[in-house]
This record gives sequence, C-alpha cells and structure tokens, in this order.
Amino acid sequence: MQAQDKLTFLLSLVPYLIERDRVSVTEVATHFGVRPEQIRDAVRLIAVSGVPGETTTYQSEDLFDIAWDDFEQNDQIVLTNQVAIDDSPRFSAREASALIAGLQYLSSLPENADRAAIASLTSKLSQGASAMPSPVAVEDSETDATLALIRESVSSGVQLQFDYLSSRGDGEQRRVDPLRVESVDADWYLRGWCHLREAVRTFRLDRMSNPVVTTEPISHNAADVTLPDTLFEPSADDLVVTIDIAAAAEGLLADYIPDGAQRSEHDGRVRTSVRVSHYHGLKRLLASMPGVATVVGPPEARAAVAEWAAAGAARYRS
Amino acid sequence: MNLVPHDSPAQRVPVEERLFSLVLALLATENGLTKTEILSTVQGYRQAFKRSGDNANLERKFERDKDDIRELGVPLETVQAPGDPGNNQNLRYRIPRGAYELPTDISFSAEETTLLNLAAMVWREGSLSAESRRALLKLRSLGVTADEPVIGYAPRLRVRDAAFEPLSAALDRGAYVRFAYLKPGEAEARVRTVAPLALVQHQGRWHVYAEERDTGVPKTFLLRRIIGAVVATGETFEAPEGDASARALRELEEVWNGNTAVVEVEPGSDAATRLNKRRGTAVAASADADHHLLELHYSDANIFADELAGFGPEVLVHSPDSLRDAVRSRLETTAADHG
Repeated sequence: MQAQDKLTFLLSLVPYLIERDRVSVTEVATHFGVRPEQIRDAVRLIAVSGVPGETTTYQSEDLFDIAWDDFEQNDQIVLTNQVAIDDSPRFSAREASALIAGLQYLSSLPENADRAAIASLTSKLSQGASAMPSPVAVEDSETDATLALIRESVSSGVQLQFDYLSSRGDGEQRRVDPLRVESVDADWYLRGWCHLREAVRTFRLDRMSNPVVTTEPISHNAADVTLPDTLFEPSADDLVVTIDIAAAAEGLLADYIPDGAQRSEHDGRVRTSVRVSHYHGLKRLLASMPGVATVVGPPEARAAVAEWAAAGAARYRS
Repeated sequence: MNLVPHDSPAQRVPVEERLFSLVLALLATENGLTKTEILSTVQGYRQAFKRSGDNANLERKFERDKDDIRELGVPLETVQAPGDPGNNQNLRYRIPRGAYELPTDISFSAEETTLLNLAAMVWREGSLSAESRRALLKLRSLGVTADEPVIGYAPRLRVRDAAFEPLSAALDRGAYVRFAYLKPGEAEARVRTVAPLALVQHQGRWHVYAEERDTGVPKTFLLRRIIGAVVATGETFEAPEGDASARALRELEEVWNGNTAVVEVEPGSDAATRLNKRRGTAVAASADADHHLLELHYSDANIFADELAGFGPEVLVHSPDSLRDAVRSRLETTAADHG
C-alpha cells in the first residue's frame, strides 16, 4: 500500500475498533479484505500513536492504548484508550464521484432496478463527501432483460437456454450454467458452463437471442469452477497476423496484441502482430478501422479482409 | 504496557505514522496549531526539527503532507490569526471535526454495501482505482458486511483515453486546459482553450463538456479526438451553478435522438442480432418480409459509419445519404488497402 492508502486504512480501522469491545485479528482482516499481518502492523502503530497533548510530549494519556496481553497472546484487539478520533472519515469528492459513476455504469443490472433506492444511495454518497462530488457521470441505461434472466436462472439453480451466433457466424442453441457476468466498457459477457461444448465458454450478451430460463438443474456452479482472470484466453490454435496501424490507434487493438510481440514504428505507423482465433473476427475488426489499420500478412488474412470489405462495397453498386 | 514514541532522530518514522500523527494532532486542536508548533511537536516532524536553525526541508515536507491529506478528503483548513492577518508565520492549521466525520445519520445497509462494492470494482483498472479503493476502506470502517451476491459480477470500465486523467484533475481544481482537437472532416487539429465542467460517458465513449474561454460557449468534445497532451494553462475558473454532467448527458441524448438511420440487415447475421439489441433500435416502417430494415439512432456519424462498415455485406445503409456514402467509401478504402 502507498502511504495515502495506509493512512486511509488507519483512519478507517480506528472507528471500526472503537465500535467493538473486542474483536479478533482474523475477523478484522476478513472484513477489510487484507492479510492478518497488515492488521497487526496497523494495531501496533495505532497503539503507540496519539496527540502531543498539553505537555507536547506524548504522555501516555495522550496515546491510544490496547490490551497488550490479549493482543499478543490471543490475537484479540481491545482498545483501552482512544484519542482524537470518534467516527469514520468522509469520502473525498473524487471517491464519492467514483462510486456514483460506478453505480450509474451498473444501472442495467437487475440489482439496480430500484431507481429510487439508487437515487437515495447516490444522495447519501454526496452528503457523505467532504466536498461536492466531481462531475463525472455515466449515461443511465435500462435494466437489461437478459441480465435479469441470468440472475433468475442462478438463483433457481437451473440452466439458461438461448440462441447464440458465434463470431464465425454459426448459430446454435446453447444451454448454459451461468457462472459470472463480466463487462468491459460497453460490452457485456456471460461466462458459463456450456452443455453443448462441455466446457467453460464466454458469450457476448448482444449475440444472445431468445433467452429462456429452463427447468433443467445446473451441474456446475461458480464455487466449483475456477475461471481464468482474463476474458480472452490465448490458445495454441490462434493465428498470428502482422498489421500496420496508426500509432495513435494502437491502444484500440491492445487486447489482441500478445505480450512480447515484435513492434517497430515508422512515420507514425506501428508494425506489430495481433492474435486472433480465426479470420472472421479479424475481418470485422479491420473493416471497422478503415484507413487506420492494414493487414500486412499472411496473404490469406489480407484476402479475408479484402473480400469482406469488397462484398460490403458491392452492395452499394446494385 | 505502554510504548513511548521513538525519540531518537536516528530512528526513521514511517510516512504513514507521520501523516496519521498530523491528522490526530489537527483533529484534537480547537484553535489550530501554528506551523512551528506542528514541526516542533508532532511525531515524525519533531525528530527532525531544529530549534535554532533552518527547517526549510521539513517545511517542504509539511506542504506535501498537507496536499496528500487533503487529497483523501480530509478538510485540513488554515485559520488567520485574528490580530495579525496576512502573517503566514501565525497561520494556524486544524481539521474541524464536523467537516471530517461522516455525518452520523448516514449509514449503508448490507444491500447498499453490496452495490457500492460493485461500483468500486468498476474502476479496478481505471484511472479512479485509487479513489475507489480508498472509498471501500472508508465504507468498511462502518462495519457493515455486504450481502453474498446471487451471481458474481466482474464489471470493468477501462478509460483508454489518455486525456481522461488530466481533464479529471483539471475539473477538480477548476483549471483551464488547452488541447489540440481534431474535428472530423478537418485536415488539422485546432488548439482549444476551455474550462472543463464535466466528464461524461455516453454510448460507451467519454466526452468532456467544457466552456470555450474566448466565447464562453459550452461544447462537448470527444476524448478520443483529443490529440496529444492536455495542458493546464495556469488560470482557474469558478465552476458555474447546476449539474453540468446531467446537462451534458441531456445534450448528448438530444443529438442521439435527432440522428436516425435506416439500415437493411441480412437476416440471421451478426449485424441483425447485435444491431437489434442496440439501445433504441426499432423495426423501420418501410420493412417487409424481404427487407429487414432497422431504424437506429447514433450520436456521431463518423464513428457510427466505422461501426457499420465492420459488418461488411451484412448491412446496407438506406438513409441518410451522408451515412450511406461514408460507409461505402470506408469499405472501398479497406478493400483497396488490402487488394
């Protein structure tokens, strides 16, 4: 932790301890989501801290104190003297606005469907901030019907069925045990156990149609399946494609550029490589970046993009 | 057992201990402490304080500490000495308890705590990640345990635009900024000097709502069209009354509603599925069994043309003509570049 985070932690921990006569180090660690040793270090620091006091020499009555035997022998925290602090600190303006904008971003979740409750939560965050929250906002969206069905299927322990169009363009009916909902900016994904493929798969919500909550019980739940941290898993079958891209736009392809990819820059254009599972995704991606990115090779990849774009352009000539 | 704080100057006091001691000392004082009182008595400063000598280093450290503490939302204030205004040596520092503490009537239920945990998770990679991490610590301070969620969520807002960070800092400080902005259709970027009023995300893209300094006219700029660095000019402004972010979103929404396109989609294609799911999409009045026509809204014709071009032959734009031409020429460019 950085010094500012450590200070915030100390200022947050003290009121939590004041509210509790006695609490174990492990309980505090679990609540704050940190390692027990971090709690012990913080308690040791708090126990010798205080105010200069009337004598300006930090006399014992001017310091926090704890029941040391309980702490050292039983791993229990008991505050026996407190100074200066009574209550939790306010949020900073930026902290409050980060939470408010985060809530707005999540407005399509069924959990956020009660708009009056969200409005009251937002106003509490504003009132609990030390200054007006910064004007950072995310457009409000309606509760997403598919997300609501996913939630319903998880809470009833049954499979979700839907029609899914893969990025290759194949349409199939899938039955899935939903495991986790993820998002990156405007794109939402469901990760789940696919009964058709008998493996964990990632589905884009906007490629799903006709979702239905079935009566078929699930065979996998989130507790049994370890999901990889990254949404897009590289595979040994991936195709590597060399591209030229305007330097300013390189970030747009960051998800596709493998670690350690060769990279050279010349006249504001970057030459590097991207990894794709097939050319169907590549041609769509490249066609949405006209004049910005070009495939250098292999020739099949260039041809796939050229055909796709030419077929699109041809529709305007008939 | 009671430990006395280390007195030996040789012993280094960790930064967080110095900051913590400063906050405690300033919370405990009614009338405030002068800088000399702080430097000579507060843990972490007093070890390095020279009674008769130059304390310039220590004073600089104190200045930085004040900034760091204020950034956390701690209302560290300065009070002028009553009989001696303007004399910096007699300025007093304190943290008024009422402005520091979370008001006692504010509490969060387990359900609300769950939602706030998710809201903070949104920024875990983003530029507000430090802020949301600290907000969570303060939330935990209240001792409420979150509900176990029905399904795991891993939401993520990645702000890819380099301009976001400097603009958000300028927003908080009320600082004028200067940046080069490339308007579509213009050959060269033009430098703008603006007072940023709000940062808003609409249709997945970040915009800054800002008043141009020379004209005083509020305008919306797309962050991805800002070229190069955003530089603070050094001048500041007083933020106007009212909810600038709500106004910005309302204006973007009006633009979005005002722009309508009619496109034909290939049945069963990726375009048909995804464009159907796009917010505000309707089946066009002119559609029939052979022609799957959708009516779509968009905010920026150039960006929307890029998006539609990605669908290749799955989409045929019917109207407006400008969008039709834009998509067609994009597809021709891509075909030529790969021919």
